[in-house]
Amino acid sequence: MEHSQELTKALSELKRITGVALEVADGAGKEDIESTLTQIRCLCAAYKEKYNKTDFLHGLMTGGIPAYDIHERAARLHISAGDPRVLYLLESRNMDEAVDEILKNLFPAQTKTYLVPISDNMTAVLRPLRPGETSGDSRRIARTIVDTLNTEALTRVQAAYSFVIDSLTDLPEAFRETGLALKVGKLFYSDQTVFPYNELGIGRLIYQLPVSLCENFLKEIFGPDIPDSFDEDTLGTVSRFFQNNLNIAETSRQLHMHRNTLIYRLEQIEKRTGLDIRLFEDAMTFKIAIMVLNYLQTERNP
Amino acid sequence: MASLSLEGIQKIYPNGFHAVKDFNLEIEDKEFIIFVGPSGCGKSTTLRMIAGLEDISGGTLKIDGKVMNDVEPKDRDIAMVFQNYALYPHMTVYDNMAFGLKLRKVPKDEIDKKVREAARILDLEKLLDRKPKALSGGQRQRVAMGRAIVRNPKVFLMDEPLSNLDAKLRVQMRIEISKLHENLGATIIYVTHDQTEAMTLGTRIVVMKDGVVQQVDTPQNLYNTPCNLFVAGFIGSPQMNFMDAVCKIKGEDVTLKVGEHELKVPASKKKALIDGGYDGKTVVLGIRPEDVHDSEAFISNSPDSVITSTIKVYELLGAEVFLYFDVEGTQMTARVNPRTTLRTGDKAVFALDMEKIHVFDKETELTITN
Repeated sequence: MEHSQELTKALSELKRITGVALEVADGAGKEDIESTLTQIRCLCAAYKEKYNKTDFLHGLMTGGIPAYDIHERAARLHISAGDPRVLYLLESRNMDEAVDEILKNLFPAQTKTYLVPISDNMTAVLRPLRPGETSGDSRRIARTIVDTLNTEALTRVQAAYSFVIDSLTDLPEAFRETGLALKVGKLFYSDQTVFPYNELGIGRLIYQLPVSLCENFLKEIFGPDIPDSFDEDTLGTVSRFFQNNLNIAETSRQLHMHRNTLIYRLEQIEKRTGLDIRLFEDAMTFKIAIMVLNYLQTERNP
Repeated sequence: MASLSLEGIQKIYPNGFHAVKDFNLEIEDKEFIIFVGPSGCGKSTTLRMIAGLEDISGGTLKIDGKVMNDVEPKDRDIAMVFQNYALYPHMTVYDNMAFGLKLRKVPKDEIDKKVREAARILDLEKLLDRKPKALSGGQRQRVAMGRAIVRNPKVFLMDEPLSNLDAKLRVQMRIEISKLHENLGATIIYVTHDQTEAMTLGTRIVVMKDGVVQQVDTPQNLYNTPCNLFVAGFIGSPQMNFMDAVCKIKGEDVTLKVGEHELKVPASKKKALIDGGYDGKTVVLGIRPEDVHDSEAFISNSPDSVITSTIKVYELLGAEVFLYFDVEGTQMTARVNPRTTLRTGDKAVFALDMEKIHVFDKETELTITN
């Protein structure tokens, strides 16, 4: 029974990637089935290795292909290894068929853009740079992809993009950087939908710190009772205060709050944390502490 | 089409950023509502919450009386047109417009009917077989609109759809969108930072700043009776002139003193200043450039509202002239008839149409006289 299920799965995989449909004759023995299974799996692996561009690029991005093999396999698949490209990573709650279809039609085969499914909710788009395009166009293209998926698939999408990849050997690094941009962007810049790899600011720094170091930093600021988070009112007030460059008059005006109420709230924060965020240094420490707190929360409850 | 109700809508991002605060608005069926404000004021975020592309942190969104807070975007019966649209390059105009319906497995004959109807409305019938690269910028924009129209939604949501077009095309497309609203009888919510677009398209305008609604009104009312300094400065181009003035009340006489100039406040405006106890206080005097006159007839009829200055810049725009000058260190603009004889460097006398002045509280920035 087990064999039969595995065989059916292997046959359907073979059909999916090659289009070849095979059937197993009745009365085959256990050994025959095992041998058939092995042969089909080898056939699938060989086929993927030789003909499947998506599989190759997926393997390359995730570090499954050794550097010495990249150029040869790319040549076999007719993928130019030296074309400048930009990698876009798209994440959506539901990367359904509609999203796939829209992307395929947005980047038809002639454009030599490769669409590589990474997971159920993530797709990579490897797009060549057109003549005259520069890295500066990447934001516009990312924005266009997001807006098109928003309007056509009516789905929420976030996108990150990489530096210009001059050779396929740089693709694994680009994938790592873009993946990081997406994670850091979602965590620290959640009000945006496009995250460039080179605009992550302090978020990148925090994200790459070990958890133990972050915890020690928070203990230093908040003492042994590290808060889970601050209430929305406090966070909103502080956020607006920072947006107004620590200007009390402007912040209280924008928040429709009396100046003294705002000062009282800021003093409550000082009481709790020892940080007087009216001072630049303390404000900076508090801002970083809140970012670290958010980061740890996400790490604990992914 | 549909009515919408936004009750106490809020958006707070996980990082604490409060993007939209207590947004309340009732949108009637077939209204053309404009959200306008400077970049980062929360207008696009509000639109995206209506679309379902952003979660609503607080408050209630209703479409046709049904609460939509947790309804998936595709089930809200809306269609969107955004700034960065892309057409499918290898598809014809027809296929581009039909594609969304095909994805939703709509029967072919129904698709055909809807696409041809949208093409008729948008005047794209002769272009249905063309590929996007053979279209002009304006035609492409119309195809993007067509993709929204064929969905036959309850509400159209448009986020700066004309931002990528050049100035001439924007004017043309603005007219097209206005016609479209008339033809479709649709409820449209339109986001822009361009106050000219807002004034020409909207039946009502929502002016936003820092995530807070400043004023909701018709274009005419926003222009004539702004509720605060921000709205007064944001609506109108060139923007309203502002100067600090000291209010002086002597019995029934109210004057505003701007440096050496004493301007007599007319009966229609002075009651609010007297009732508000503004005697001796500094207020902000606002006046639109077209209400600053250089004609001799107007000046001689308005001896109590005369100011003098030296013209710094003369700008001829064909049908009108903008004159820039300083009054007590504040730059002012007058929009005058092109027949004016005033030129750069001339000593000039102007009279303000005091019936058209706006007076704002210096501290709260709220209007006193409107």
